[in-house]
Amino acid sequence: MPINPEAWKVGLDHYLYLSSLLFIFGMLGVLMRRNVIVILMCIELMLNAVNISFIAFSRYAESTNGQVMVFFVMTIAAAEAAVGLALAVTVFKKFKEVNIRFFEHLKG
Amino acid sequence: MLSSADFLFYFLGLVSLVFGLGVVLFRNPIYSALCLVITMISVAGIFGTLDAWFIAGVQLIVYAGAVTVLFVMVLMLFDLKHEMKTFSKGVIGNGVKLAASGVLLGMLGTYIWATYATEPTFKPLPAAATSSIKATKDLATSLFTTYIFSFEVIGILLLVIAVGAVTLSRITGGTHHAD
Amino acid sequence: MGKDVFEIVVNCVKMLLIFLVMVQLVPILVWLERRVSAFMQNRFGPNRVGPLGLIQLLADAVKFLFKEPFFPEKGMAVMYYGAPIMALIPGALALAAIPLGAPFHLEQFTWLGREWGPYDFIMQGYDFGVGIVIVLGVSSLGAYSLLMAGWGSSNKYSLLGALRASAQMVSYELALGLSLVGILMVFNTFSFYDIIAQQTGMPLTFNFFGKVHSIAWLPNWGIFFNPLGALIFFCASFAETNRLPFDLPEAEGELVAGFHTEYGGFALLMFYIGEYGHMMVASALMATFYFGGYTIPYVANESVANWVSSGGLATHPNWAAFLTSLIFFLVFLLKVFLFLLIYIWVRWTLPRFRYDQLMDLGWKTMLPWALFNTVLTAVWLAFSHRPV
Repeated sequence: MPINPEAWKVGLDHYLYLSSLLFIFGMLGVLMRRNVIVILMCIELMLNAVNISFIAFSRYAESTNGQVMVFFVMTIAAAEAAVGLALAVTVFKKFKEVNIRFFEHLKG
Repeated sequence: MLSSADFLFYFLGLVSLVFGLGVVLFRNPIYSALCLVITMISVAGIFGTLDAWFIAGVQLIVYAGAVTVLFVMVLMLFDLKHEMKTFSKGVIGNGVKLAASGVLLGMLGTYIWATYATEPTFKPLPAAATSSIKATKDLATSLFTTYIFSFEVIGILLLVIAVGAVTLSRITGGTHHAD
Repeated sequence: MGKDVFEIVVNCVKMLLIFLVMVQLVPILVWLERRVSAFMQNRFGPNRVGPLGLIQLLADAVKFLFKEPFFPEKGMAVMYYGAPIMALIPGALALAAIPLGAPFHLEQFTWLGREWGPYDFIMQGYDFGVGIVIVLGVSSLGAYSLLMAGWGSSNKYSLLGALRASAQMVSYELALGLSLVGILMVFNTFSFYDIIAQQTGMPLTFNFFGKVHSIAWLPNWGIFFNPLGALIFFCASFAETNRLPFDLPEAEGELVAGFHTEYGGFALLMFYIGEYGHMMVASALMATFYFGGYTIPYVANESVANWVSSGGLATHPNWAAFLTSLIFFLVFLLKVFLFLLIYIWVRWTLPRFRYDQLMDLGWKTMLPWALFNTVLTAVWLAFSHRPV
């Protein structure tokens, strides 16, 4: 694949590459970390990655719908962080444990 | 010839990627959280390069100013300095996870590349048609007309979440004893 | 940044100057704080070194610089050293987003044997249009420096102070942001320049059920449209800046010195600069939103420009434009200083709150009142324009 200098000019595709890379990082964190709070943080990372692509699409399509979606995503993310952290704090107070494996014992 | 906006994008993108990787790799969760803050700030900057200044400001207020502060505070309350098992066990399991992520990344990348390979000419960023004030007004207009139902639903969701979080934290007492 | 070398250099120097204004006002404010507190407590304050004790500042600076820097034994270096630097960033960035004077226009002029094209400069670090959102966003980053300081010092008192501080800042940010919604609705814009332009010149003019009334002896300032919002904003900004009566993070009776227990010398000074920077940002926002920004009450901006050019102060129109902008900058600085004086006054008057009282005040008093203010303003705006 010949690299032409035009390819370095930032277009929509660059934002999408960045977004997918960040998303994969977040996904790796969710899959491989054990600390439940770090997993929550990685979910925030994934949501941020999706937000980048939303904003990029909305900018290049010249419509505000993508920005509205980002607004909603942010609201949901804040809510999710609040409940997730409240759960983690409750479990930690009771069992002194933040390992995601431990949460399996909560079933039944 | 790259413009200064392009350099800004590459710089912010590099910062967000490096510190995003830091979130995943740091063994100390506090450092992970601080890396997340820097990622959030650079993502706000990337929103700025896309002329979404209002969303960039909201990103700073909501994510960097509130959500991540909450994470850092909870981590400091837990005092998790000595975390022995950072990553999940099992060579095969981890291999599968890495491979799955790699495959997904490859698929996404190929798809984006293939889409843009068919349009060989560079598609420039359309010039900002309106000022950021006007863009914010447009955002508000579509938020409060087209998406008003979703907006109200989100409001109810937030109320439910607030009640739920307070209830959860009162189960074991919190700072005040339940009386 | 700019079209040519001149504009780029001017813009860079401007950024540097705004940062220096923030840093250089701090010793003056420290001196003012000590003198005013001494006056209020019937003491003298620093009055030995130099006229009115002004050289005391220099002595203090030298003392701060020559103190031995130390590092707590089990501290974390990155956070311990990063925290004071982080303390400077939010204040400086937020101050750079606020217009400190009227924008001015330079005609084409010849200098160093070259024509320099017409320029438009703003007395502001950067302008993104939606200024207030950016200011709130940037200043909300202030919590991290306290958290980093508290954790990096690995000291129980520091950590408790930092946790208190960040909880306080996050809670009061809500009231702070919501109290501004009312005034944004009144002026119907996010842009600082539009807000200031609507407060300029004419006497207080408002719609009352379809009829336009005006009160000649009051300026057209935001505080008359939204007094409740102004009160909540000012009170919440005390909590945002961690000043007394809300200085729980460094409650010395309980926590030694809070998050900066382990700091001394220059690092401590940087925390002070950050705190005073926050105060300046809050005062500047107060002046911009509720007290007409850089404009002079009862005086239109054009008449200031006319006065400068006709009074023989400056012959060339470019110098006149610059001088006019400088006058507006001084007016703005005067307003900011008045609010900073109120900060100092309150600090030495009111006792400290208890922590649960602080949280109750934030969540159960200020937040509902800020919401009420928003609803009240909305109802007022909806009905006041209609004839009965």
